[in-house]
Amino acid sequence: MDLKFSHADRSFRDEARAWLHANLPRERRPHSGDAMRQFDLAWQRRQFEGGWAGVSWPQEYGGLGLSLTRQLIWHEEYARADAPDNHLCFVALNHAGPTLIARGTAAQKRDHLSKILRGEVIWCQGFSEPNSGSDLASLRTQARIEDGELIVNGSKIWTSHGHLSDWQELLVRTDAQSPKHKGISWVICDMKSPGITLRPIEIMTSPNQVHFVQCFYDDVRIPLANVVGEVNDGWNVAMSTLGFERGTAQVRDQIRYAYLVEKMIREAQRRLGSDSPLSNDEIGARLAQLRADMAAARAMTYMVTSRADAGLHDSRSSLMRAMVGDTQQRARRLALDILGPDALENREDDDWVYFYLRSFSITIAAGTSQIQRNIIGERVLGLPR
Amino acid sequence: MNFLLSDEQTQIVDSLGSFLADRAPVSRFRPPAPQIGNADREFWPQVGELGFLGIGLPESQGGIGFGAAEEMLAYREFGRHLLSPSILGLTLAVRLAARAGSPLLEAALAGELRVGLANARRDAKLGSDCSGEFHLFDAADSSWVLICGEAGAALLRRSDFTDVSPVLGTDHVIGLERGRLIAARPEIWVDAASEPVYSRAQLLLAAYAVGIAEASRDMAVEYAKNRQQFGKPIGSFQAVKHLCADMAIRTEAALCQVIFAGLIQAEEQEGVDFHTVAAKLVAVDAALKNAASNIQVHGAIGFTAETDAHSFLKRAHLVEQLWGDSRHQRHRMLAAAFPD
Repeated sequence: MDLKFSHADRSFRDEARAWLHANLPRERRPHSGDAMRQFDLAWQRRQFEGGWAGVSWPQEYGGLGLSLTRQLIWHEEYARADAPDNHLCFVALNHAGPTLIARGTAAQKRDHLSKILRGEVIWCQGFSEPNSGSDLASLRTQARIEDGELIVNGSKIWTSHGHLSDWQELLVRTDAQSPKHKGISWVICDMKSPGITLRPIEIMTSPNQVHFVQCFYDDVRIPLANVVGEVNDGWNVAMSTLGFERGTAQVRDQIRYAYLVEKMIREAQRRLGSDSPLSNDEIGARLAQLRADMAAARAMTYMVTSRADAGLHDSRSSLMRAMVGDTQQRARRLALDILGPDALENREDDDWVYFYLRSFSITIAAGTSQIQRNIIGERVLGLPR
Repeated sequence: MNFLLSDEQTQIVDSLGSFLADRAPVSRFRPPAPQIGNADREFWPQVGELGFLGIGLPESQGGIGFGAAEEMLAYREFGRHLLSPSILGLTLAVRLAARAGSPLLEAALAGELRVGLANARRDAKLGSDCSGEFHLFDAADSSWVLICGEAGAALLRRSDFTDVSPVLGTDHVIGLERGRLIAARPEIWVDAASEPVYSRAQLLLAAYAVGIAEASRDMAVEYAKNRQQFGKPIGSFQAVKHLCADMAIRTEAALCQVIFAGLIQAEEQEGVDFHTVAAKLVAVDAALKNAASNIQVHGAIGFTAETDAHSFLKRAHLVEQLWGDSRHQRHRMLAAAFPD
């Protein structure tokens, strides 16, 4: 048990800090559309050219091949520098890429991995369907196999940034007769394929904010060579990388949120008079508890990283996810209460209200907090199904 | 950076855990056992013999030579078994006696010094003379009483207290009295500026609270697996499963933050106050909420003295109050410097 970082780890940290300081994008990240896509790709490209893309990706695929601890350090410095999150690259870097590394063919790796690290392509996820949310394995988008091709028909929904993406990791049903987990395939889908139409979906934050699309597939032809892993083994392929990085990327968010709480304390002092947040009124008590909980969230990431470094792969990281989701939501709500009447203004130059509304997705996306609690109950505590 | 126990630390915890499982099962408080007071002090000499009273003291002074991390792990086990918190009086008396070069050190290390605890009720002033009104815990047949506060820690004689009167404690297996100090001079006074005794005490209380949170979680989960209603174990129902999941989430947060704070203290890194106060707040919150949920998961039997669920709840409240309750700790949390 220790908190020490090796000499080599500390030099790595210094280098990362210096590079980030010198190379941060100076302009503000656009909130939507092609401008946002161009911004995220350019920032990813700059990280690649600087030699910082894919810290824990194997070297043979263009990564740095370093430990999870180094990956953690990179994320910590990234957040400390307040570097913009290139959300559009998230699926490619944290899910599609690692899935191809784990299960892709040589040709699939060659065609896609270096483009991901170089910031040339955006990937999106085609998992959820209108009738398959928490019960993902019940998905019904169908693919029949004809002359070396998959012919896809059906619909996917809640596809974040689908309208800005080049590729999609798509789960389709290739066998309707087998048990539901055993008839699914994981497919690389070109978003420009004929037969794909997209319906933009506005989200609750503010007017005209398109975050998701619904995708419709009408006889979309995809080469069989785009199946990752075996046909009908897609469920296992998808599960193999759901825990990629074992949560080290979460530390970015945790440090950002810890800074947010510090900012909230200053704002509360400014708005409520300098003594008020320190006296034990309601806002002060909530800020204090939040400050403590944010520290604990970071400690939980250290535990998850320690366990992964020791080769312990278990469901305990779901405890961190559940705790962090609730705490972040609580922070966004408190930020609103600090604003008082001004919370009724959803201003573009002041994003607390926008992110409060946005925070409702934290406990829904990638498995609702209720599903998380089922997983904790069954896999961590061993309670019966 | 590594949050996992070393092999040596695992051995320490295992040996302590099996000693306590044998000597101090939580069921020791169940009726027909006496409902007021406890006999834990009878095995303090054995705890001393195993080395746990001097676990954080250098070998040159008669200790084992470990640090804050191992002491914290021991207190987590003490919390799981609801040891009388007066053991903290001994741990801190060892520290104070070593610092002051007092001849009491040997008896304290051996677990033979009888030390109760005191906690401020009102108008408390600690220093080279101490005044105010206090609660005394498990101090009735002690010669010594230990008090800790932000200013430092004092070892006093029990006879320094006046107007001592017994009261029925909320946690009634702990002997409770009220008492008063009027300009009493402690046998030993250690200033917090010269030795971080308050932050160590808070860390150990937080670790003890983690033990309560863990034991409550485990007891609830075990019951939810076995108790059948509607033809199924109640743990298969989401309403109960999610109560248990919440207990697990809180416990993990508390454990991780207590480890974080313990390592910051052990390595004398920046942010001792920030991380220690956070640890006490998060751990006490987990202990109180888990103890309450454990009663709920048990249903009617949880409301009786025939299970141990209530013992965890009552002890959690006592730990919360000791040397600064959560309301006070929240003030300190906001006042602490943010370690960037």
